[in-house]
Formats: sequence, structure tokens, C-alpha cells
Amino acid sequence: MILNKKFRKIDVELIAGVAGIIIMSLITIGSATHINTPSEDRYWYVLRQGIFTLLNVGVIFFFMNFDYKALQAYGKKLYIFNIIMLLAVMFLGQSALGAQRWIQLGPISIQPSEFSKIIMIICMASVFQDKIGQINKWSDLLPLAGYVGLPFLLVLKQPDLGTSLVFMAIFLGMIFACGVNLKLLAWMFGVAMACAPLMWHFVLKEYQKMRIMVFMDPNVDPLGSGYHIIQSKIAIGSGMLFGKGLFAGTQSQLNFLPENHTDFIFAVVGEELGFIGATILLLLYLVVLWRGIKIAQQAQDSFGMLLAVGITSMLAFHVLVNVGMTAGIMPVTGIPLPFMSYGVSALTTNMFAVAILLNIYLRNQKLQF
Amino acid sequence: MNTNTNNIEFGGRLRVIGYIIVLVIAVLIGRIGYLQLYDGDHYASLADGNRIRIVPAVAPRGTFYDRNGNMMVTNRPGFAVSLLPLTEPISDDVINRLSELLKVPKGTINEKIDAHIGFDPIRIKTDVGPEILSIIAEQKDLYPGVVVEVLPIREYIYKEQAVHVFGYVSEINDAELEAKKDSPHKYKMGDIIGKAGLERVYDLELRGEDGGEQVEVDVTGKPVEILGKKNPVPGSDLYLTIDKDIQAAAEKAVDEQLVAVGAKAAAVVVMNPQTGEVLAMVSRPSFDPNLFVGGISSKNWNAINNNPNHPMDNKAITGEYPPGSTFKIVTGTAALAEHVVTPEEKIFDSGKHWIVDKGNADGEALGYINFEEAMAHSDNVYFYEMGNRLGIDRLEKYARMFGLGKPTGINLLFEAEGLVASQEYKRKVFDEDWYLAETFDAAIGQGFNNVTPIQAAMVMGEIAADGKRYKPYLVDKIVDPDGKTVKKFKPEVVGQLEVEPQHIRLVQQGLKGVTKYGTAASVFRGFPIEIAGKTGTAENPHGRDHGWFVAYGPFDNPSVVVAVIVEQGGYGAASAVPIGRKILEAAFNIPDPAKQAELERQRKQAEQAHKNKKNNSNSNNKAQEQPAVVNNAPGAGKGYGAANGKK
Repeated sequence: MILNKKFRKIDVELIAGVAGIIIMSLITIGSATHINTPSEDRYWYVLRQGIFTLLNVGVIFFFMNFDYKALQAYGKKLYIFNIIMLLAVMFLGQSALGAQRWIQLGPISIQPSEFSKIIMIICMASVFQDKIGQINKWSDLLPLAGYVGLPFLLVLKQPDLGTSLVFMAIFLGMIFACGVNLKLLAWMFGVAMACAPLMWHFVLKEYQKMRIMVFMDPNVDPLGSGYHIIQSKIAIGSGMLFGKGLFAGTQSQLNFLPENHTDFIFAVVGEELGFIGATILLLLYLVVLWRGIKIAQQAQDSFGMLLAVGITSMLAFHVLVNVGMTAGIMPVTGIPLPFMSYGVSALTTNMFAVAILLNIYLRNQKLQF
Repeated sequence: MNTNTNNIEFGGRLRVIGYIIVLVIAVLIGRIGYLQLYDGDHYASLADGNRIRIVPAVAPRGTFYDRNGNMMVTNRPGFAVSLLPLTEPISDDVINRLSELLKVPKGTINEKIDAHIGFDPIRIKTDVGPEILSIIAEQKDLYPGVVVEVLPIREYIYKEQAVHVFGYVSEINDAELEAKKDSPHKYKMGDIIGKAGLERVYDLELRGEDGGEQVEVDVTGKPVEILGKKNPVPGSDLYLTIDKDIQAAAEKAVDEQLVAVGAKAAAVVVMNPQTGEVLAMVSRPSFDPNLFVGGISSKNWNAINNNPNHPMDNKAITGEYPPGSTFKIVTGTAALAEHVVTPEEKIFDSGKHWIVDKGNADGEALGYINFEEAMAHSDNVYFYEMGNRLGIDRLEKYARMFGLGKPTGINLLFEAEGLVASQEYKRKVFDEDWYLAETFDAAIGQGFNNVTPIQAAMVMGEIAADGKRYKPYLVDKIVDPDGKTVKKFKPEVVGQLEVEPQHIRLVQQGLKGVTKYGTAASVFRGFPIEIAGKTGTAENPHGRDHGWFVAYGPFDNPSVVVAVIVEQGGYGAASAVPIGRKILEAAFNIPDPAKQAELERQRKQAEQAHKNKKNNSNSNNKAQEQPAVVNNAPGAGKGYGAANGKK
């Protein structure tokens, strides 16, 4: 019965969009890494990413059997679990690239802040669903802000500026969908702007300040922090209309482009597949995000609507910041490109997010039967 | 329970989020479109700059051949160690290691890196030995970005010989780079260019076109693939008018004579008076141009630079000396042409002139002498009187008619003008009137007169060529690598003495007397070819007199004119004439008597051996042995008129 329904009520466009992105991802990771793999197998990264994709597809199918609405019951527990997990990173985490973000679990190193995003979406949705149309005063808003604020600060402390900004984006998307008073929203921006100098002096680390300075002018430090941006822009720009062809991107293949299979993978697409390939990829994202909003609109309940909005906000923010970063219009923040960047934690998070979207869509018109 | 109604209530908000998302994607597509489509070419060139390095293949410079096709200057294969410029700074470790290996100071390497623009290799040291090359090859990982370039290295086969004609090559410096900005060839840092002599004058023709390999490198500078190759086009060859044998003989004669008379500097010019071709040119002291090729060491440079006799100067064209008695050729020609004297008129030499108290060098008195005798014996009193009769203005006129006081136009740089004594000059420089005594000085080539050795050869050449003056030149033709002659140089008449032919004949007769019974007679005793000559001894206020000798031969059909000066060599007859004779011997293939006797002995021995052999067998060895005998025969092979017969 359920399976039957599942197939009737599957969001084919969303699945097609995500599948298209993942196929591009596997090809691009292959191109970016086949020279520099740690093992003898040239396609180690592709294999690993592919296996986890399939595992996640299985998880999605399994998850389809449950109603997403059951998740709201776990809201509080998940929130506490999240806080504990983030604290664990602070004390047990391993450093990479100047930040403590990783926990080693057996053979897999996981990045809790990635999972933390989807957990926070569920928590926020379960809390915010009762606040729709009721966020009109500071006294309405501040408790909600505090609810997000605690994990936000923990992630910022790691330090993982990127993920903490993702929390902000999700928060903003959700309260906007909740009908937050626009005046209040305007005030929030005002306060944030006023706080920016304080952030600059007291919160941001030197290397984060440098990233922002370099974003303003990459030539501040062309062989240091500016190097990534310069090389990434060269990679994308030199791809021109048709690209240099797969496995033929000189910037990527000759290692001028760092992190070419993770954060800067979009530059490889731009270089090797050109404007045409990059545009196809961005349009695939548009399909996915557009379906996310549609699913929110058609959601059966507020919890589903807010989940879908949170997930779409998260994905949209990732795409904006990551592609913007590789194209030199956003600072370097270490936010991966959803479904594209190599990384099992992020992939799992994003696949789970899509599973939730599919679940919401599956059950949206129950009442009409 | 909340229902869809809530969603509908704020559905407008969701649509806004949808629009924001469309806007975000549109902005991103716009941005990459800007990078890839609008600015794509710019970034493509930056990407190429990242990965493509040009490893140049330097074109071999053109070869110098002498007039008989003998190679004189060529190239040998050599190796240079260079650094590939990288996107990332070259690490200090590598620079330290390289500095130690090549014995080049770190500062120098860093300077070269800093001064470098573009993507071709930064040449750190040229002409390195095989040990260093093998170290770099074996320890590749220790020297990332270090490449070995194969370079043609200039080789001057005969070292110091004709160095002032050939010049030398070395790396271009900043000033030269600036000066050559508008040249049709794009010179760049690290280029090897001709710095002097023909190497400099014909640098554009000689240098050819560099080729190179386009190499793809990765971020560490490690070559990944060769993308393209352009073979260098060698430079064009110069076929010179120089005769290797005459040049060698002149060099040897000068060196021997400098030792014999204890002098330090000298210059020789040998030309064909009928064409202006320069057959040999020597200047002493000299230097080995090979020293400059890989960058000269400071020790060698100091040795050259601190030598008080300026080895780098080509004294044959830049040295200005009082012509001394060689100037009597001009004075004599002028006197006959202006009819101030007849060939028959005898003038009484009492040892002193009767107006101004000036006499012969050693105070001897020759009594009544005519023109020919006065020329042969280089009689000062006779020529004082000629000066007296002509006056300074007419002396000046004839000096200029011979071409003195301006460069001969030989195809070398920095040729000096010399100086013709004149009233105008004295007024201009000293603001004084002219004195008769100065006319007397001018008439015998002292005083203000100055000539370069090539001008002295030119004056003698004009007498030899019956008044025609040819522009001296060193290059016969320039031949490109395909064997096509791109430029052919032809004899060029640039002047003609406006003097009746019989007067030139009279001067010629007087000059023949010089070697027959005059000042050069003792040295030329037994010389098989008739030679016209003139000795000179130029007073030198700074030291010993300079010795001069100019000559041409064969007398009836001159093909060789020689000018020799030995700085501070004393009497021309003693210092310069012996050099002149040896050069003429070489030019006319006259074996010197001692050598001839030795050859004769060998020939007889060979004949004897041959006879003995013949007795033993009936072999056909005869044909093989004959050439050795033939080659030794006087007058065989090439000669400059000796075998041409007389007109």
C-alpha cells in the first residue's frame, strides 16, 4: 500500500534535480582527484562518495515508511543531543585547517556541525510551528533567537563561521515564513549591522578577518589567503563558454586550484565544463530549491512547511555562499556545495534533508482522500 | 492542529522566498557569465601563464669565415642552469642550494629573480660543467623548478687573433636593453649580444631567431608535458675579407717584434688597395674574447681593464698618431701637383733648413737631392722646403683630398677621425695665428697632424691604386642558413686624387726607392717582389717615438697595402719595417729563408726515400707523395699578385 503510494506521490522533479547534481558531482570529483588520490585506486574518492550516495538512498527509502510528523516529538531530545555533540567536538575534536570540526568514529571522521544543521531545522520547526503569525514583538522574537543562539555560538566557537551563518540563514528563512513582523526584521538587521564592528574586534579570529579583507581585495595576500580566490576565478574564467573538457582543466589538474574536490569544486565545473556546464548545474539547483518552496507551500501542516522552508533556506544559502565564493563575490567561509563537494557528512545531511522534503510531499494531500 | 490555512495565510511570504532563490541563482549565473564570457580571454591567458613555460632554444650565432672559407668564429654546445619562474615564490632552500652548487652569490640569484618578467627561465649561470649537470639531474627533487638549457656557446677558435675585428659577445645589460628598445629584434634580459667589433655591428644578422619548447608545468614547476616546439633559426654567417694566414702572420710578427723592441702596443692594417678589402687587422695589446662568453671573472676583467695600454681598443681604427714621415707622401704629391717643384730640381740639404732651424733627425746632410731621392731617404730638409713653398693651406687641401681628417668608413664602430693641421684648427682650439715653423712640422707629419693606422694604409693605398680611394671593408658577404647571400659587399670608390697620373708615378718611384736604397732597404734586401714603402718615426711627447711603416706591393700591380705602427717602438725602420716585411712575405707566400732551407732539405730527403722505395718495389706511391712537395714550392697556392705577373 504504502510503497504503491510512495511511487505515485514521489516528487520526480526534485529527485531528478538531486540525481542530476550528484551525477555531475561524481564526474567532477573523479576529474579533480584522479591524479592525487591517497590510495592506489584512482577513483577512490568517487567510489567512496558513490557508495555513501547509495547507502543514503537506502536510508531515504526506509525513512519514507515513517511520517515526518513523528519527528516533532523528538524536538527537545534532538536539541539536547545537538548541544552535547557540539560540546564533544570542542573537547574531542580534531583540528583541520585551523578549526576543530571533526570527530573520529572508527574509520569515518564525521563533522558534527554538518548534522547539526538538519537537527536544528527539525528543532526549530517543532518549536516555531506554534508561533506562526505571532512574532510581532521583541519579547516574541528573543526567546526564539536564544533557542538558536546557543548552538550558533557553540559552532562559531569551533570556529566554524560558515555553519553558524547557515544557522542564521535557516533561522531567518523560518521566522520569515512564520510571518515575522517586517519592522522587527528590519530592526534585527539594524542591530546586526551595529554589532558588526564588535564582532570584528571580539569574535572573529585573525584568519577570518583576513578572509574578509582578502574578499574585499584578493591581492592583499595573493600567495596566501588571496591565492584561493585568485586561482578559483582564473579556473572559472578560463573555462569560457564550453570549458576545457573533463580531465583537461589546467588549473585543477596541475594543482593550481586548491581544495578542488571539496569547497572549490564549482571552479572545476566552471573550468572543465564551461559556462554551459556551470549554468546547467545552477539550473539543477534552481529546480531543487524551487521544488523545496513548492513542497513548503503544499505541506499538510506548519511543521512540514517550516521543515521545508528551513531545508530550502539551508541549501540555498550553501549554494549562494559557495558558488559566490568560488566566483569571487563572497568571502571564503568553508561552506561546501550541497551534493557536489566531496564529503560524506555533508552528503548524508543533504540527502536526509531531501528525504524529509520527499516525505512531506508524499503526505501533503492526505486530507484530500 | 495547524492546517493548510496557516500556510495560505503566509503563502505570500513563501513566494517571496521563491523569488529570492530565483534571484540568487540568476545573480550567480550572471557572475560566472561575466567571468567566463566577458572576461574569459583574460582569465584564459592567466591560466596559460600559470601552466605554460617557454624553455628557449637559443639560436646559434652565425659563423665567421675568412676569405678562403676557413672557419674562424663558431659555436660549441654548452649548458646553462636556469630557474623556471613559478606562481609561488621560489623557496629559500632551493636558492641556497643552487647558490652553493653554482658558486653564485644568493644576492645575485635573488636579483635575477626579482628583475625577471615573463615566463621564460631565469638564467642563473651559463656554461656550467658536466659535474654540476649530473648533480642537478640526480637530485631533481632537491632542485624543483631548476632546468638545464642547452646553449650554443661562442667560440673564438684562434683566441686573441683578430679579436678587435671580431669583437666579443656577452649578456645584455640594462643600458643596452634600454638602448635597443626600438630595434626590430626584441631583445630581452639574458640575451647574449655582440658587444664590440663585427659581433656588435652585425648582431641582428648574426643572432638568428631563438626557438623553444612550450612546456606545461604543475604548481611546483615540474614539467608535465611538452606542448610545442619551435626550432631555432641559426644566425647568418659572415664571410670576411680577412685572410686567416695573413692575419696569423701579422699577429705573430707583431708579437715577436714587440718583444724584440721592448714595446707594448702596436697596430697593423693590411688591405687590398684595388678594392678596400681588409686582409688583416691587428691591435696590441689584445685579449681573449672567449673569456667574456660565460660572463668574465673579475680577475680577468681587472687584468684587461687595468692594463694602461687598453687592450679593448682597436688601435688600428681608434689610435690617433702623428703620421711622421709617412705624411711625406701627401706633401710630395701636393708639391708635384701644385708644380712648386719639378722632379728634376735638386735642393741642397746642409742638414738644416735655411729659414727655420730644423733638420734631419740625426743631423745628417745629404747634399743636393731630387724628389725621388728625398722620398727614398725621407729627407726632412727637402720636405720642409716643400712645405715652405706650398704653405699650410695647400698642405691641408691635399691631406683632405687623400681622405685624412675624417673616418674611412670601415664597418666598425668608434673609428677615429684623425686630424689635419690647419690654420682654422689652430685658431679654433688655441685661438692663435699660424707660424711658419708649424707648416714645416706639418710637412713632415708632425705638429697637429694625426692619423689612424687605417688612414695611413688608406693614403698608401691611394698611391698604389693610382689615386683611387676605396672604402675599407671587412665583410664580403652575409649568407643566411639556407645558403642564400642576403648581403654582398662590393668595392666602393669614395675618392680620387685630382692629381696628374705622372705625378703619382713619381711618388710611386720615390716610394720604391725606399725599399731599394732608402730607409727600408736593409730590411728588404733580397725580397723577391718589388715593394713601395715609407718609413716614419713620429715624435711622441710622452715617451719613445712611434715607429711607422707603410708599404704596398707588388709594385707594378699592387694587391696588398700594409700599415704598421709600433707605439714607442723607436725608429720606424727598426721597429715597424720588419713586421711589414713578414706580413708581405705571408701575403705573397714567400717562405722565409731559414724555413725554405729546411723545406729544401726535407724535399731532398723525401726524394731520396722515394728513390729507395722505388728501387725496392714498383709501387705507385709517387702520386701520394707528390702533393707534399708541390705545396712547399714557392709561389704555389694562393697569392696576392706574386703569381699574377706584371702589367
